Amino acid sequence: MSEEVSKERVLEMLQKVKGPDQDSDIVSLGLVSEIVENGGKVYFSISIEPGRAEELEPMRQAAEEVVGRIDGVKSVAVTLTADRKPGQDSAPQAGAAPAGGPNLASGQIPMPNIKNIIAVASGKGGVGKSTTAVNLALAFAANGLKTGILDADIYGPSIPRLLGLAGQHPEPGGDGDSIKPMKAFGMEVMSIGFLVDEDAPMIWRGPMVMSALTQMLQFVTWGELDVLVVDMPPGTGDAQLTMSQAVPIAGAVIVSTPQDLSLIDARKGLNMFKQVKVPVLGIVENMSYFLCPSCGERSNIFSTGGAEAEAEAIKVPFLGAVPLHMDIREKSDAGQPITVSDPKSIHAGIYRSIADKAWDELERIKKKNVYTPKIIVE
Amino acid sequence: MFEVFELNPTEIRLNKDKDQLTVTFEDGKSFSYSAEFLRITSPSAEVQGHAEHQRKTVPGKKNVKIESIESVGNYAIQLNFDDGHDTGIFSWKHLYETGMNHDKLWDRYLDEMQEKGLSR
Repeated sequence: MSEEVSKERVLEMLQKVKGPDQDSDIVSLGLVSEIVENGGKVYFSISIEPGRAEELEPMRQAAEEVVGRIDGVKSVAVTLTADRKPGQDSAPQAGAAPAGGPNLASGQIPMPNIKNIIAVASGKGGVGKSTTAVNLALAFAANGLKTGILDADIYGPSIPRLLGLAGQHPEPGGDGDSIKPMKAFGMEVMSIGFLVDEDAPMIWRGPMVMSALTQMLQFVTWGELDVLVVDMPPGTGDAQLTMSQAVPIAGAVIVSTPQDLSLIDARKGLNMFKQVKVPVLGIVENMSYFLCPSCGERSNIFSTGGAEAEAEAIKVPFLGAVPLHMDIREKSDAGQPITVSDPKSIHAGIYRSIADKAWDELERIKKKNVYTPKIIVE
Repeated sequence: MFEVFELNPTEIRLNKDKDQLTVTFEDGKSFSYSAEFLRITSPSAEVQGHAEHQRKTVPGKKNVKIESIESVGNYAIQLNFDDGHDTGIFSWKHLYETGMNHDKLWDRYLDEMQEKGLSR
């Protein structure tokens, strides 16, 4: 007979463990995560400041030790995480969320302020997804839409850098748990990159990915937005599924290079969205061709038109081809996206045209009303 | 091969007694399932196992009711049954296929019950 280990008992024991300040205990400092107990195995994490993991290892061991003393506990696994500010309260559970907005069904995170969520995704990394997401969002903003951008690429958040916000941190919102989005070029911006060190590797277990993403969706106080562009992590894993299940994504834009290999991955991404019934607004071909800045000669480095042919084959709109160009790369890395730093350039025009096409497709799909069915409980 | 199920339901209706679910699809087909039928064909691994030979025959669910319905993304619903079972994600595809094969699945269930000496 194994008796159940109560979470209260675990917390009670943890009150004996002093926090990083050697004064208050880790429970009253609010550093202890949700406690997971399963058949006598206990798991939880303790939030610490980034970079103090080694120094605080004795604290971690002490926590494991005291919990291990509880009757019925077979094993304890405690991890140190640096993904929350020390001293901040444990995040409330998803169930504590307020009731949903008009188009939301239960089980999803309510985002009543946001009219449309557009996911920008790619089947693999390195195809310029984040640069595309940023310029697409800025093009929406240039078209007069109230726009926000959420960097859900928790493994390699690059939006802070692309928008010139690297090293800055968002302010806490009014009620303790919430965070105010940052502002850049008239857009609201949120990224996990604001909360952690740029150089820190993101080593996430599946459930941590889900909780990081849901927290960014739930606890960011987004303003009234016409569109929220979400820069998805590359690939077709946990994070993408979480996003597709947790929020009502109105449509997805797939970014690919014209290479065959990249296209195969793009198709996987596309099929994933189809599987979870997120409409695909279209494909963007990035690094489509190279325009030599000195002689103007056009070289089709990865061959070209692959994505357009692919889009036709799988019957989704082709939104546009973006050349591989120094200006786009340089301005992106300098935090001055080309859509705003050089709005009259050909490249900015291409992004605006992609944004227009994506928006038209979104409106068309909405008219078709492919959203979740009416659920009626008599 | 990868296949995408293209049909979406237009309406999902749970009756007042919470023991019957009716799902209407875009193609005009409408299926009614008893809560018992949904419970015993739940796509959860708790019922289906991870392979056909692990599939369980779930007895004693004659009076089971559906407490609530939650949507999962744009492709499925999760049903919460009053016996605590809530791990089945009923995709549109699953609902359509079990709807189309309702009588066959139900007969198989009754046969298995008899074979194993179980009762509803």
